Amino acid sequence: MSWIREGELNLIERISANVLKAGPIPKHVAIIMDGNRRYARKRHVERHEGHSQGFEKLAETLRWCLQLDIREVTVYAFSIENFKRSKEEVDGLMELAKQKFTRLLDEQENLEKHGVCIRVLGDLTLLPLDLQEGIAKAVVATKTHNRCFLNVCFAYTSRHEIAGAVREMAWGVEQGMIRPSDVSEDLLSQCLYSSNSPNPDLLIRTSGEVRLSDFLLWQTSYSCLVFQSVLWPEYSFWNLCEAIIQYQLNHRSLQKAREHHRESQALQQLEADRSCVAELLQHHGNGTPVDAQSRQEALRSYTASREERVRHFLGALQHKRDTFFTDLCSPAVVA
Amino acid sequence: MALVYEFIWRVLHALLHLQRTLVTWFRSHLWKWNGRLWKRAVAALLVPMALGFTNHKKIAPTTGKRVGRRFRFGADGKALEKLPLHIGLLIAEEDPRYLDIANLVVWCMAVGISYVSVYDNQGVFKRNNSRLMEEILKQQQEQLGADGSKYSVEFLSNGSNKQDHQALSCQAVVKVLSPDDGRQGIVEAAQKLCRAVEQRERAIKDIDVNVLDSLLRESKNTPDPDLLLKFGSVQSTLGFLPWHIRLTELISLPTHVNISYEDLLGALQSFASCEQRFGK
Repeated sequence: MSWIREGELNLIERISANVLKAGPIPKHVAIIMDGNRRYARKRHVERHEGHSQGFEKLAETLRWCLQLDIREVTVYAFSIENFKRSKEEVDGLMELAKQKFTRLLDEQENLEKHGVCIRVLGDLTLLPLDLQEGIAKAVVATKTHNRCFLNVCFAYTSRHEIAGAVREMAWGVEQGMIRPSDVSEDLLSQCLYSSNSPNPDLLIRTSGEVRLSDFLLWQTSYSCLVFQSVLWPEYSFWNLCEAIIQYQLNHRSLQKAREHHRESQALQQLEADRSCVAELLQHHGNGTPVDAQSRQEALRSYTASREERVRHFLGALQHKRDTFFTDLCSPAVVA
Repeated sequence: MALVYEFIWRVLHALLHLQRTLVTWFRSHLWKWNGRLWKRAVAALLVPMALGFTNHKKIAPTTGKRVGRRFRFGADGKALEKLPLHIGLLIAEEDPRYLDIANLVVWCMAVGISYVSVYDNQGVFKRNNSRLMEEILKQQQEQLGADGSKYSVEFLSNGSNKQDHQALSCQAVVKVLSPDDGRQGIVEAAQKLCRAVEQRERAIKDIDVNVLDSLLRESKNTPDPDLLLKFGSVQSTLGFLPWHIRLTELISLPTHVNISYEDLLGALQSFASCEQRFGK
């Protein structure tokens, strides 16, 4: 029932892992663990049994990921939409989560050994307070670990996340830290819950559904999407290998698409800076024409000042988020 | 040992690439080769069925192959349990073929899909918007005949809201999209909201999913796509409207080259058999 499952691969698995590792390995894998309830129905067991089997499978999959040199995994544990389920099931899931996060603190030594950093992405304020505290403790306790990362999306939807990021940027504007024209794709990415992670290279969804269901919509724009029909509690090492092979087959074309996107993004930023500078010069220039060199100079200094503003704002945002977790950990402040 | 592994990996991947190329090649070439026969067989099966669904009076004055096809389209649309309201066509291949894409768009309109979006991640279609438009109108004439005029087409591009076509009885809206409408669209909406906050026209706490959604919808005035058909071997949405594909079914076809109506119908059938649970 623990987060890290000790265990070794057998010989054939080890050889296959080594063959796969000769190719490009995704740095960050996102997983929609779908099919727990269908599994329970199939096996004629209670729903919550299906969910805890699903958690077991997560622990096992994390071990396989480590053995395959995948350093970061993001999982969709609970969507905001899931609050619509029956009260009994939602309560059961909250209880399971509370148990697992408390359990995590008992295993701290083990987590430290593997250097596992756990982050929880989502709108935690939607959760019961005791669960919030449990989550905050786990997050703060593993904050400094940096060998591998597990991001648990809890009370999460991607649209909620994006709207939240817009709200943070609006806050920055209101506080006078940034200007509306500083808002860019890059800045928005940095304001998402996932700001500390690279975009996932591979997204796996089990149980045969072919939708993203409001999961990492922004971040997976250029990720390899693999839909597998196996139910999550039945997921095997070989399923994971298949997904990685799919990623490897797509690797080159995805690389190209990302490169193209990066270039056009840089161009867009340059254009935006240029038009801001043009506006500034018009305001201050009193109609006198500006020569190319001073225009270039103005552009350079504008870009530098924009970057400085953004850096300052992101620092403030990070501080705000850190404080949220540390405050939850010390109940005295909450009270 | 590492060398051995690498060698095995290379062989494995060469084989997989070969397999993939062969599958694509067979699909696009065998259709052409064998297509007539196939199409005739399928048509023989479908046309009597189609007649069952349509009004017999209508078919009386006009005869011929074209009419048979036209009725087939509409009937196919009705025969499906559910039809997407908005379909996205994502071309993830180099060298797009305008003829095939125009055909796809026309077929989509003919089966009764109201919104069709064509997307590629390089912005090729956006740059060659008029060429695609012409091709679509041409194919529309060819496939649907004079009757095609009632499928008026509205083209939207470059984010501009040209509504001049609205006066016509709009049955299908065709849009050409590029990455600028995706993440960049969200960024523009965010800038708008930030400006409103700066001017004190809006409070921060009012910014939520609904506000952002209506802002992103306002400029497009379209429902979210319920089906995204991707053509090509890359398994990615390549930046296709991230905000809007929340619940979109993603279905993949190996190539759009020489695509046939039956391929499209097959994809629509697998869409119709999907069940959505909305988090429950």
